[in-house]
Amino acid sequence: MWLWFSKLGSPKWFYELSGRWLPWLIAAMTIFITVGVIWGLLYLPPDYQQGYTSRILIVHVAVAGTSLAFFPLMAVAGVITMVWRMKLADMVAKMAAPIGAWFSFLTLATGSIWGSISWGTWWEWTDARLVTMLFQLFLLLGVISLRSALEDQDKAAKACALLSIVGLINVVVIKYSVEWWNVLHQVASPVSLSADSPNGPQFWIAIAIMIVAMYLFLSVSLILATRNEILQRERRSQWVQDLVRQS
Amino acid sequence: MTIEQSTIKQTTMAAAFIATLKRDLLISFKKKNDVVNPFMFFVIVVSLFPIGISPDSDRLSEIAAGVIWISVLLASMLSMDNLYRSDYEDGSLEQLLLSPHPLFFMVLAKNLSHWLVSGLPVVLISPLLAYMLNLPQAAYFTLICSLLIGTPIMSLVGSIAVALTVGLGSRGLILAVITLPMSVPVLIFGTLSVQASLNNTSPAGYLALMLAMLAVAVSLAPLASATALRISVN
Amino acid sequence: MLEAIQFSSFSEFIHMGGYGFKIWSVYGLFAIFIAANLLLPMRKRKQILREQKRRLTINDEISRNI
Repeated sequence: MWLWFSKLGSPKWFYELSGRWLPWLIAAMTIFITVGVIWGLLYLPPDYQQGYTSRILIVHVAVAGTSLAFFPLMAVAGVITMVWRMKLADMVAKMAAPIGAWFSFLTLATGSIWGSISWGTWWEWTDARLVTMLFQLFLLLGVISLRSALEDQDKAAKACALLSIVGLINVVVIKYSVEWWNVLHQVASPVSLSADSPNGPQFWIAIAIMIVAMYLFLSVSLILATRNEILQRERRSQWVQDLVRQS
Repeated sequence: MTIEQSTIKQTTMAAAFIATLKRDLLISFKKKNDVVNPFMFFVIVVSLFPIGISPDSDRLSEIAAGVIWISVLLASMLSMDNLYRSDYEDGSLEQLLLSPHPLFFMVLAKNLSHWLVSGLPVVLISPLLAYMLNLPQAAYFTLICSLLIGTPIMSLVGSIAVALTVGLGSRGLILAVITLPMSVPVLIFGTLSVQASLNNTSPAGYLALMLAMLAVAVSLAPLASATALRISVN
Repeated sequence: MLEAIQFSSFSEFIHMGGYGFKIWSVYGLFAIFIAANLLLPMRKRKQILREQKRRLTINDEISRNI
């Protein structure tokens, strides 16, 4: 167990293993995204209530669901960084933050496009999920700006780890308080984004495929970015120099 | 001998807390800026809102609670900047980290002094500004209560961000980017409690929730601040 | 398989019940998002490798001359 753990922490081991996995992950990701998009665009029957907007919804829900994974991911990496001083965990956390910001931004963009059809407005403060996502984006940008402000790498690693843990608690608290706030401000309740709209099984299968596709995409992009970070941080080590010479 | 030692240790624990508190308060009152500036900032920001939005008293009474809460938030964030910086610059922060007493209580003492200096005066002046913004009488008591509970939470949570950025040269904006999203829950419950008493319903539930948040903040936030200080100063 | 397609003509497919532009822009954003997050790290990787290779060859030159 401990051997495995310390091995996993070694950037070299991760680089080699991820190199072997990457083609499979990319292949699986391509298949799932293609199937999901084609299904969504061609075969998904228009919902009798929401019409063709369910085509937006499958992208939006999948991206939103995946973007919820970032703060837990960064917080776990943060704990590993603080407790075991594992360099790899910090590299993953560092690269996850901008990808998470991308995800959150796309969630907001697709959500507001969907809202412009279903609610008639591009932004709706009464939707707790969009508001929470907005603040998650802000918190992620905070982590990114803290990282870029601190020059000392070791200090930045620990500081961002702590901020990610605090941020995770915060996202959860914000989520519940915004929901509460919302229940009380429910003016004209808009069509909910969630499961209460009557969609067929077709819709849910399409969403499931897209969610798997997005998690695969998350791992592929995170692995690609982390490999770059490893090459940069470990550039003085022998194995990276050998690798560079061969390229 | 051992009894003596332990009693010495016990007294010094509490004494260290009080000493830190006294020292910080003394410094703040000597510098005066720490006390006056957040207060002035708060008053000025609040008085800008009617000019920017509308002098119409009905409309003002609707937004009064929110305006006061956001201005308190900004004032507290602005005053946060001084919390550890001068100590960091003159090296006394390092002394604090080296002291045998748990950093938790030292941080708590510093946060308490920050709140007493910059949070409490703002809370005390808020009824006057609420009057100027035409907030209905029914909500005054709730506003003060919610501010009394909410401002220490902001000091405690903001302290984490200040501790993380203490070594940075220019950090005004980064502090805002980290702190402001974190204060959303306090803002929500603070304004909700005032809204509740405006609608003639009991604000007790919201105030109780804020008290619970304060309890969690008192027990966890100094821990995070202490860790952050150890990271920033080494 | 083909009869399960929800559109009878290509223009209907583009049009999507009047929401064509919005739906297509969602998929457009989605495509940009995926492409950006895959291509940018790949380009950066090449850049890093090129940069480090240059540094290594310079170092080798120096050590050889000494």
